[in-house]
Amino acid sequence: MMKDIFVNEWKGLFRNRIFLYLTIFFVAALALVTWLGIIQNQKQIEAQNAAHNHIRAQWDEMKPSNPHGAAHFGSYAFKPNTILNSIDEGVNAVTGKVLRLEGHTQNDVVYSEASQSLLISKFGKLKPSLLFQFVIPLFLLFLAFKTLASERETGRLKLLLIQGISLRNLVFAKIFSIWVIGIVLLLFATLIQIVINLNQFNSDNVLRLFFLISCYGIYYLIITSLTVFISVVLKNSAASLALTIAIWVGWTIFLPKISGNAAEKLSPLPTRVEFQKAMDEDRSKGIDGHNPSGDRKKALEKATLVKYKADSLSQLPINFDGLVMQADEDYGNTVWDKHFGKLYKQLQSQKRIYQLSGIINPFSSLQNLSMGAAGTDMFHHLDFLKQAENYRRVFIKTLNDKMAFGGSKTGDWSWTADNAFFKSVNDFAYQQPSLSNNWSKYLIDMLVLLAWAVGLLALTNYSSKRVSVL
Amino acid sequence: MKTYNIFLYEFKHFSRSKAKVFAFLLFVIASVYALYNGFNLQNKQQETLAGIEQKRQEGITKILSWYDEGKKGPEERPWIDITTPFWALWNLPTYAIKEPSPTLPLGIGQAEQYGYYKRVTNWSSVYDNDMVEELANPERLVNGNIDFSFLVIFLLPILLVIFTYNINGLERDLNFDKLILIQAGSTQKWILARLSFYSTILVATVSFFMLAVALMNNSLKSEVFTLVLLSTLYIILWTLVFYFIILKSHSSSSIAFKMISFWLIFCVLIPGAVHQLASIKFPVNYMTDYLDANRKETNEMSELPLDTLYTRLVINYPDLKKTKHGQDSIIDEEIINNSASSLVNQLNKVAIARIEQQNDAKNKFITLSYWYNPVSFVQNTWNSLTATDYNAYQDYRNNVQKSIDKKIELLVFECWNKRKVDKKTFENYLELLK
Repeated sequence: MMKDIFVNEWKGLFRNRIFLYLTIFFVAALALVTWLGIIQNQKQIEAQNAAHNHIRAQWDEMKPSNPHGAAHFGSYAFKPNTILNSIDEGVNAVTGKVLRLEGHTQNDVVYSEASQSLLISKFGKLKPSLLFQFVIPLFLLFLAFKTLASERETGRLKLLLIQGISLRNLVFAKIFSIWVIGIVLLLFATLIQIVINLNQFNSDNVLRLFFLISCYGIYYLIITSLTVFISVVLKNSAASLALTIAIWVGWTIFLPKISGNAAEKLSPLPTRVEFQKAMDEDRSKGIDGHNPSGDRKKALEKATLVKYKADSLSQLPINFDGLVMQADEDYGNTVWDKHFGKLYKQLQSQKRIYQLSGIINPFSSLQNLSMGAAGTDMFHHLDFLKQAENYRRVFIKTLNDKMAFGGSKTGDWSWTADNAFFKSVNDFAYQQPSLSNNWSKYLIDMLVLLAWAVGLLALTNYSSKRVSVL
Repeated sequence: MKTYNIFLYEFKHFSRSKAKVFAFLLFVIASVYALYNGFNLQNKQQETLAGIEQKRQEGITKILSWYDEGKKGPEERPWIDITTPFWALWNLPTYAIKEPSPTLPLGIGQAEQYGYYKRVTNWSSVYDNDMVEELANPERLVNGNIDFSFLVIFLLPILLVIFTYNINGLERDLNFDKLILIQAGSTQKWILARLSFYSTILVATVSFFMLAVALMNNSLKSEVFTLVLLSTLYIILWTLVFYFIILKSHSSSSIAFKMISFWLIFCVLIPGAVHQLASIKFPVNYMTDYLDANRKETNEMSELPLDTLYTRLVINYPDLKKTKHGQDSIIDEEIINNSASSLVNQLNKVAIARIEQQNDAKNKFITLSYWYNPVSFVQNTWNSLTATDYNAYQDYRNNVQKSIDKKIELLVFECWNKRKVDKKTFENYLELLK
């Protein structure tokens, strides 16, 4: 019976010209938007690669130089775009793109896209995620609302029920027939994505794409069942439409901002001045690489002399300055770990609050999952920063070790390492974390989204048995 | 029925509609909350700037005490000698700040994307790492803040949808629209009068909040009146669009669908499409021009022979020839090295000009879209009036650059004049770099 209603529903939809035009519009819009998203992403990846190669070439061409001078010359990490950034760019437009990696200092990632022009869109670029999150749900909402309202207005609902069809079966058949339209549109956009990017897809990307579609699929089920549920309960079609639109506006426009603000109030971040002051204070307790009078330096000097059985620094077979620099780095790293660790924890605590806001707003869960699947959420951003910092530590240690153990003596700042050494220093290559190892970060969002879907289907089931439609 | 009466009846209709009253109250509460957010950001920025000023004063007091005590600098850094212009200016705390505008609570705009204070040193540039924005959760930045401009530009049209979607629609749903024609004489006039009631409420509410903020911040200036005018025109524009939608639709659900679709197209899709196209045409700038100037070219410059550096400095500042060192026959390496930051500043300025040019081209592309992207026009005009748009921060960057130029020029001339810096000279520097 359900299958017949389902098929009948689809036949009815395709006989409707407006529906047909809208579907054609959506298919064309999705194709265009997905293609433009890929083009934009590719251009960004090309620009990133060009910048990366340009900076690396400068490093590779370095003349014989003092390793510590090279540490000040430093390098840059450019935040790369993932393939799925073309679907949902998440935080990438507001976070910086360039991170300077140098000795003594851990810098901030700077030069975000948002800071390079006037404001254009408050809701982001016209990428597939914008259609998936804003437009398709609204389309499904109107279809779902209309499907039951028109049955009621034309009197067909009474006729169907008299013929022996249960309201429950009718309601569920309608929910699934509308939901499948959303799924078809999702699959269509995915297909384009796969076809164009076929040679760049690895197993993780496929898993991410599957995860992304599944999340949107569940959200569409929530939207359609909510709309049908309200139509069943309220009966007054105008009132039910008004309520559904009000909920949609609340979910997509209003509540995400409220939740974000609330998370920031509940777990406030320090100001940059406060944060820097605390770091500077901790850092000043350690030895300063350019400050020869620190107590720690004296202790290090004593220990080094004992180790090499020497009476003075000039007798050391190594360059003590290199050791001082590295000791300063090591201390700086512990300071960084302490303060940035705390900051990252606070950011994650804010994220947790935002994730929990999914209990009242499933759109928040969808947003989190969409960005997470695309590899463009805060977790991935923090991961990039951590990997870049880890690379910086290895990079600077390599240079300091060369300074200490490469053949120079203490105080010999004119000593240089050759170009082959600089070329041998590994380049920074960001490895995107695999989704399979990080799915637990999204557990709350997944559970909340599923709970919404199951809850609404259960409510619809319950109301379709209880509510009188005649 | 007179227009005035229709207007009054609409008030009755509105006051009896719980949903509409609730939606209106929600908008008012949201406005208060948005203004609270705006004031919060304004206060936070002011507190931070007050902290910076205090730190600056402490720094100055410490240096002045060194002069009083005859010290040349901190004991643990014996190489510092504040009787030389280089170290005196190196230690002189100079900041360039952007005070939050008095109208900031009315629109946060892009304020959270930029830094608003900067320590100016001999080696500073306007794209330094400390020009970066405040610490913030990037996901919160993506969703944006609930600020007053967002409420007026994006949520107010939705409130207008809730208020007006059943005007004439309900009558058509219930098939008594002909009665309205008989009673009112003209359906168009009747619709317009009813719509005017709601737009009047919204104009009054929005204007009230704006004027209240202006009074609270003692900033009843032309910007606020322009904002009132802009918001009024914006509300009228939406009212007119909705008027035609109502006129051409046959049921309340059709009206609601069209109104929401119109909102979606103009508030979300068109700005999103322009954003995407702008990104394709002008991909994110990785600032390699600036990175090269700041790193590679600076490094190369440090390897140049002394006389080349001398010549470049004299080309940049011809009056250096008239200074004491300018008339010396032997080039002083220390003076040249201490002046080298001015050459780096020149390199930075050339690279920054190229970057700003690229940004300007992108901005031009955006502003050219305004004729079909009116919401972005209103948004950026609004942000411009609250001094929170890209241009306001570009002006701030220009001021930072001026401050850098001033400090560096003073440094170079003082070094070349071989000035001996005492307390009075230092106080003079303070005055010059205020």
